[in-house]
Amino acid sequence: MLLSETINWVNEQFKNTNELVHKNLEYENKHILLFYLKSLINSEMLQQLIIKPFFEMSSEEQFKIYLQALPQFQEVTSKEQIPLEMMNGNILVKIHNELYLLDFRLANNDKVNQTSVETTIHGSQLALSDNLMTNINVIRSNYHQASLTVEYLVKGEVNQHKVAIIYDKDKVKSDVLDTIRKRLQNVDKQLITSTTQLNNFINDKRFSLFPQMIMTERPDRIVYNLGGGKVILLVDGNPQSMATPVVFFDFMTTIEDNYHTLFISLFLKILRYAGLLLSLLLPALYVGVTSFTPEVFRTELALTVAGSRVGVPFSSFIEVLFMLFFMELLLEASIRLPKAVSATATTVGGLILGTAVTEASLASNIMVIIVSAVAISTFVIPVNEMAFSIRVVRLLLILITSIFGLAGLILSFFALIMHLVNLDSFGEPYLKLYTLAKDKKSSEGKS
Amino acid sequence: MPNKQSKTKLFILILLPIITILTGCEFKDIDKNVFVSMIGIDKSDDEDKPYKITLKLYVPTSSFKQSPKPEYAYITQNGETLTEAIRLMESYSDKELEFGHSKLIVIGEDLLAEKANEIMDFLLRRPDIQMISWVAVGRPSAEEVVKMVPQGENAAYPALFNYFDDIGTESQFIVTTYLFDLRRRLKEDGIDPVLPIIEVKKKESHFKVNKSMVLVDKKEPYELSSLYTQTFNILSMNAPIADLIIKEEGEYFNARVDSMESKYRVNVKDNNKIELEVDVSLIGYISESKNPLKTQDLAYYSKLMEKEAKEKFTEFFEEMIHIGYDPIGFGLDYKSRTLHNRRMSSEEWEEAYKNAGINMTINAELKSTGSIK
Repeated sequence: MLLSETINWVNEQFKNTNELVHKNLEYENKHILLFYLKSLINSEMLQQLIIKPFFEMSSEEQFKIYLQALPQFQEVTSKEQIPLEMMNGNILVKIHNELYLLDFRLANNDKVNQTSVETTIHGSQLALSDNLMTNINVIRSNYHQASLTVEYLVKGEVNQHKVAIIYDKDKVKSDVLDTIRKRLQNVDKQLITSTTQLNNFINDKRFSLFPQMIMTERPDRIVYNLGGGKVILLVDGNPQSMATPVVFFDFMTTIEDNYHTLFISLFLKILRYAGLLLSLLLPALYVGVTSFTPEVFRTELALTVAGSRVGVPFSSFIEVLFMLFFMELLLEASIRLPKAVSATATTVGGLILGTAVTEASLASNIMVIIVSAVAISTFVIPVNEMAFSIRVVRLLLILITSIFGLAGLILSFFALIMHLVNLDSFGEPYLKLYTLAKDKKSSEGKS
Repeated sequence: MPNKQSKTKLFILILLPIITILTGCEFKDIDKNVFVSMIGIDKSDDEDKPYKITLKLYVPTSSFKQSPKPEYAYITQNGETLTEAIRLMESYSDKELEFGHSKLIVIGEDLLAEKANEIMDFLLRRPDIQMISWVAVGRPSAEEVVKMVPQGENAAYPALFNYFDDIGTESQFIVTTYLFDLRRRLKEDGIDPVLPIIEVKKKESHFKVNKSMVLVDKKEPYELSSLYTQTFNILSMNAPIADLIIKEEGEYFNARVDSMESKYRVNVKDNNKIELEVDVSLIGYISESKNPLKTQDLAYYSKLMEKEAKEKFTEFFEEMIHIGYDPIGFGLDYKSRTLHNRRMSSEEWEEAYKNAGINMTINAELKSTGSIK
């Protein structure tokens, strides 16, 4: 194809923007043309690496070789590639009847963030940045393996975001990788703005309650997952990554478990699972026991509960739903509010509402204790996505228990476990205790 | 061709109407129940309505800190059957009577001799009466036992429960019998139930539980004295700790037995003669003595204790054999180890039991004189 035709075509593509700079440099016997989008270019680098050498070099031939030697140099493979790369911060250079692309991207979002979602006491306090390249840099510098592979895709018809698939070629299961690739190919969305969106987009099921991928912002967790043979997905402009395939127990581990001594991490794990069960079952148990089978309580407790319910106008399940509703409102509100206000909101909501509700005997004292215990134990679940799922499941359990009593609670808990057993995340069983199987496999590989 | 999705839809469609047919337990808020704390069953004066039931009901409070005094309500009703009495009682209360928390069933002394089996039937059939309730005999009547609130009782936990639950007092004189066990022993040949007797001390406002009663179907109940009750408790390993007074050969001391073990066996001899073999081991220390004691003589004191224990235990067994009651369960032991076609008939067994010999071995071990030098 003719060079001038291509340049005209590129100009045509950018005709609606006034940011396209078209620079014609001519000095002595040298002549180059530069095209770039001004706002995307690091102009200092442009000055240092192109404009200054241009005037210093003796011949056009020498300058051409110089350009090819630059690390930012990129060959043009197709006409369509040019506008895409230019929008990513490349400069189009025409020299000697040839076109080159040079990556002079200006990135202002490449600073690594502090961890904000998965805060820990031990371990690194730094998370990922908003810049894909920086993120890959962070991962690579934490995971020194030649087998670490990065694949790029462009997704989102309108915003054309870069998506990276990162995995350790030696450890990843090829059929999982194929499934992910295939499903990512099939994603047909106008806009991709967040990594977590992918959780919905590449999940086959329309209604899914439990997350099929785990979101993390911690480089050490990413490395841990890569080492375990998982696939990491990153989207440009997002400080979060997704790891998949996951099992349920991934959501119950924090990366800190590996940093504590055995007994401490065991204790913390027991605490966490107790919290999970408590936040899941406690409100439903309250309904089931108080309204269907008060024999289960100790006598003193039964009398206290009966006494504290005196004057409460609602049935137990309405009482529970009513209080949980306010608790959920409080949780939602404290996420959305600015940090300065959220502390006040929690105090007003939690303390004042709690006392006032019992004073006005809209709910019993015991109910307030249960709701706060549930709220606290929900926070113990280390991964946020699972905490959200548990909050929904909890409501279902309450609903079934208020119709069928304790037997209903047990049955619905069974149903929940059956559902979890039935689930799979990219072909991997969701409730699998994977550590044992993995060990076996790796030892097989060694021998 | 039904695919997976339409199968699921069909499943839900079928499930929904089925669910509406299902009924769970009855939904009843806890404050609409009234909890029964004790059941007292007496013989009434009325010929047509022989049963008199007294229920002790908890009055719920929201905070025991604000009202630490125990509060109860009582209902009493005569009835031709127990069920009738209960049904009538339900009309006295604005709330549902909930028996799930009743821990103690007191049966009046008068009624016990005649209708133990009939009462048992009601108690076992009613689903919300717990099989792990304690059963006791009330003296002079169940009603008085149920209605008395002794001094120093805590709210929500009647003092009487502490006698039986092994958390409060651990007296060697208290026999604890559960409803399921009572039923089993009543129905089973070869073992007879023992029920504690609760006596009311009105003036001092407390209970006295240190006697018990052996119950045999169609026979007069036999009352065990405090001493026999203690002996029974030691032999059946009911009591965790027991005291023995030893008065032999000029020594006079108290042994506190903190570990006891007893084994029984029936040895069958010719012509349906039997011998009861009892093997008891008692380990403890001396807790009180009139005379100074020497540590090196512990073996001698143990011998004295063996002698004393043997006398006491033999007396108990002789009495039991004499009246033909079997609270320890020798008959059961015999039956369990003899094939049914070689077994004596129950009449023969009773005869043999009455003439049984006793072969008692006691192994007592005193670990210390109890004083520190």
